Amino acid sequence: MTQRTALRLHKALARIWAPEPGWRGWLTTNNNNDIGRLFLAVATGFFVIGGILAMLIRAQLATPGSAFMGPEAYNQVFTMHGTVMMFLFAIPFFEALSMLLLPGMLGTRDLAFPRLGAYGLWVYIFGGSAVIIAMLMGLAPDGGWFMYPPLTSAAFSPGLGADVWLLGITSIEVSAIATAVEVVVTVLRYRAAGMSLSRMPIFAWYILVVSVMILTAFPPMILGSLLLETERALDWPFFQVENGGDPLLWQHLFWLFGHPEVYIIFLPAAGMIATILPVMSRTTLLGYGWVVAAAVSLAVLSFGLWVHHMFTTGIPHLGLAFFSAASTLVAVPTSVMIFSWIGTLWKGRVRMELPMLWLLGFFATFVIGGLTGVMLAVVPFNWQVHDTHFVVAHLHYVLIGGYVFPMIAAVTYFQPLLTGRFRYFRLGEVAFWLVVPAFHVTFLAVHVAGLLGQRRRTWTYDEGQGWEILNLVASIASFVMAIGFALVILDILINTFAGLRGQRNPWGAPTLEWAAPTPSPTYGFGSIPIVRGRYPMALDPDLPQRIAKGEGYLADTARNRRETLIVDTMTGEPAEVAVLPGNSRLPFLLAVVTSTSFLAPLVGAYWLSALALSGVVIIALIWVWQLVPATTEGPVDAGRGALLPVASETANPPGWWGSLFLLLADGVHFGSLVFGYAFLWTVAPNWPPSSYLRSEVWPVMLALGGAVALIAGPRLLARAIGRPALPGLLVATCGALALAAAAASVMLARPAPEGHAYDATLWLLAGHTAFHAALVLIMLGYLSLRRIAGHALRVGEARIVSLWADFAAATGLVALGAAWLPGAFA
Amino acid sequence: MTDVLRIALPFTLWIIGFCALYALQGLVCSHHWPAGLDGRTALVAAAALFVLGQGVVLAAVLSRPAATRFAQRVATILAVAALAAAVWTSLPVLALTVCG
Amino acid sequence: MLAGSAAILLLVLGLLSAALLRRPAIPEAETGGRVWFWGFGLGFPLVTLAALTLYGLVIGERLLPRDAPDLATVEAEARQWAWTFTYPDAPGLATDGVLHIPAGRPVDVRITSRDVIHSFWVPRLAGKLDAIPGHVNILRIEAPAAGTFAGQSAEFSGEGYLGHVFTVQAHDPAAWARFLAGGTP
Repeated sequence: MTQRTALRLHKALARIWAPEPGWRGWLTTNNNNDIGRLFLAVATGFFVIGGILAMLIRAQLATPGSAFMGPEAYNQVFTMHGTVMMFLFAIPFFEALSMLLLPGMLGTRDLAFPRLGAYGLWVYIFGGSAVIIAMLMGLAPDGGWFMYPPLTSAAFSPGLGADVWLLGITSIEVSAIATAVEVVVTVLRYRAAGMSLSRMPIFAWYILVVSVMILTAFPPMILGSLLLETERALDWPFFQVENGGDPLLWQHLFWLFGHPEVYIIFLPAAGMIATILPVMSRTTLLGYGWVVAAAVSLAVLSFGLWVHHMFTTGIPHLGLAFFSAASTLVAVPTSVMIFSWIGTLWKGRVRMELPMLWLLGFFATFVIGGLTGVMLAVVPFNWQVHDTHFVVAHLHYVLIGGYVFPMIAAVTYFQPLLTGRFRYFRLGEVAFWLVVPAFHVTFLAVHVAGLLGQRRRTWTYDEGQGWEILNLVASIASFVMAIGFALVILDILINTFAGLRGQRNPWGAPTLEWAAPTPSPTYGFGSIPIVRGRYPMALDPDLPQRIAKGEGYLADTARNRRETLIVDTMTGEPAEVAVLPGNSRLPFLLAVVTSTSFLAPLVGAYWLSALALSGVVIIALIWVWQLVPATTEGPVDAGRGALLPVASETANPPGWWGSLFLLLADGVHFGSLVFGYAFLWTVAPNWPPSSYLRSEVWPVMLALGGAVALIAGPRLLARAIGRPALPGLLVATCGALALAAAAASVMLARPAPEGHAYDATLWLLAGHTAFHAALVLIMLGYLSLRRIAGHALRVGEARIVSLWADFAAATGLVALGAAWLPGAFA
Repeated sequence: MTDVLRIALPFTLWIIGFCALYALQGLVCSHHWPAGLDGRTALVAAAALFVLGQGVVLAAVLSRPAATRFAQRVATILAVAALAAAVWTSLPVLALTVCG
Repeated sequence: MLAGSAAILLLVLGLLSAALLRRPAIPEAETGGRVWFWGFGLGFPLVTLAALTLYGLVIGERLLPRDAPDLATVEAEARQWAWTFTYPDAPGLATDGVLHIPAGRPVDVRITSRDVIHSFWVPRLAGKLDAIPGHVNILRIEAPAAGTFAGQSAEFSGEGYLGHVFTVQAHDPAAWARFLAGGTP
């Protein structure tokens, strides 16, 4: 009887959540299972490409005076190796794993914004492919993966390579931000009933922290790319000293992103370790609260380290000392984590399965990488080994030991869940014993070569400097390591397609993802589970059956749409019912036009870029239009006697939460712009400019009045739900137009942004203001269209517009104020 | 949500204070700094304010307990750690050469 | 630093192996957290790091270019891919690829660049310092005795980066005086 209930529920849900049949299904699906798998496959593909590039590097350096590559080729190869591994492999790979696993861990059916996830995937595929195709055409960037201008400015890198990097990488960052917004909102709101903050699986904490880091670390980099690309394309001199720019500005913006980036890569791996290690020791994580605190503090501390990549740029010693102190400080939360894990092993009984082997590989490697990191934080030592192979070895210890090994552990650990199959062929152990020893031989040799003075990024070296044997050893070992990695991939492939069918939860793990059938169906859970502790599967071994029988929430499929539960952030009490969109081609189309608008400038097709940009606006409008039905339906039955409102009819719908975190990223982007302005004003050699902008009174009045109207208009709208919307719409529209006009006055008063970095910055500040005013105008236009079409306006919609309008008003005032202030005092 | 904010607050303040201190140091060593004002005094004052601010955060976390014991525990650890971090990263202003 | 790191590494790996070898019959309840977190997690790194950072900052302060009675100043300008050195004590004098300094005296090298970013590095005399267009960075070096020292750029600068090297020649007082006077040292 109960078996039959479960089967009926399964059939109904499987139909509702099914992708379109055939190959079109892959283009229109937005289910986390499909998107995650595609993401994982593509990221692995990029890992292979990056690995081949690494082999080319080691082949070149194996012997002195090698004629294998010249400097032109070698410079492209090492630049691309770094770029591919950092941007196209490391970040997308953990995003893919989180997309696949997070809904299961949290006890929900999908991520908060499925279409956004699909969009992120396609933008990543297009941007990444463009970079690789450019490389195959010999147009790869060759300025190193951190792209320091002026070497990468138009004067010294006239080719397309740098543009490929800037535009390709920016589109990938857009993808990362889309995914991060999705993950943050999912963790905060989309969970099983009763899953309070303290009952969240530890990985959810880590990935929440990492996603907020992505939202705050990527914007400075996006700004840097924007500045460098406008300098290259339009000659706005942000980094040209003679016209008031400063190349150090790039380094600040890049490392403001670049250092947190290292922790953005490490923390998901740490989350995986904290998930897998306790299961492998048949116990629970020691000090959950401590680990959460360590993850949070490590995340923030990592933002206070960026200057330690710039210790040799001549910044005063006191400035360096701040960052030296902060750099050594990050070792504290890291060591809290490490000792939490060792303590977990201590209290448990370890079983030596393959995932555990890789975790031991992590310990042996990462601790060394951490210690060389502490050495590098010591300023005088840094002055000697900076830009030598010592740094290269250090970062490979941290990234391969701290990221790749735990990720392999994660893939082998979750393989039964993802494929429904168990390892049968034991190739993985062989691969492990090839990779880890070979890794240590390779990079210990590289450490020593660095200490002996071998510089990084030199395409060859002369005989007689004592580096020959070290390099030969490193090269040979690195090839052994490559064979090992190939075996790792082969092992996973073989066991995916030919492993044994196994039972559910083979490791005896205590967390929710193992309560789903294996392999996990598209809808995840038959009903939304109810949890009463941090380890629900340990508390209640029958949980999977009860979920499948529909004893949780939302087991009723009568409404015939994809639904999942939204809970209270703190307590996990059921709060709303989220209706998720079905299959859609919009994400793919939006990604096509977005990528076109990014990549068209590469071939000089600015008109195409502009056309694609209007395509972005149109598709985005259709996107939101489809999201909300024409009429409201009131509270719905969520099962178990709960009557809950539909998310889109609440005051803070998912779109409001998404906007909030998108605006966090936007705000950091704006903050970076203001920082850049202040930096140039303080440090750049050819300042002050010949004159400062002196504003007349009317633009100031326009800006102030516009901001007030922008803040008031949407609020009027939110209050007048059910009554005429015109007054609110009108006030907000006037406000946006006034603010845009004030911004335009700045541009008109300084018509030559290519003359001095000051003028170029004013254009960006004014452009930022006008852009956000335009965004608000588009949203207001959308609301008007809905009114004209006779749709019911929702409070939530008005509040989302309100959020964006507030942001436009606040940043607009700061931007224009910053533009006018120096002139007012001069 | 308030519990999440409580957990986020101590170190968010730390990073703001830390960046402000570094920015002030940049300003002190630039040509904009007024000649009559002693750079170190300003830096020490700013650092003291920074540490004081973190102390206030700690006091606030302790005086108004969070909704759950868990959030209270994590927030307390973080508030103490952020105070310690503020002290530690401010120490260089006491002894090191300001510009140079 | 190396010995200390090795000791820490051994400690961590030792604890790890002990944890692996130890096989309690029944998994223990959450006890012993205090030792792990307060002792190993917080106490241990704080003490070592405080000592290390302090040491680093003291050394760093000592390396700063301070006023000295017998200070000599030279100028280094980098470009893709060569170095030109000039001497304020002998206006008009310029050397390409070879930097001349007096031995046994503190020397300030005023470093800048004409095009992209480079870095001035003479491993046996001092750490590296970047040459950045528009900025002048001052590096304090001191050669213990007369002799030749190898130097190189240490910031990637494009195709000719490998060959972007120079030498430093330190002279005794007499040879230094001859050099400044325009003669052969």
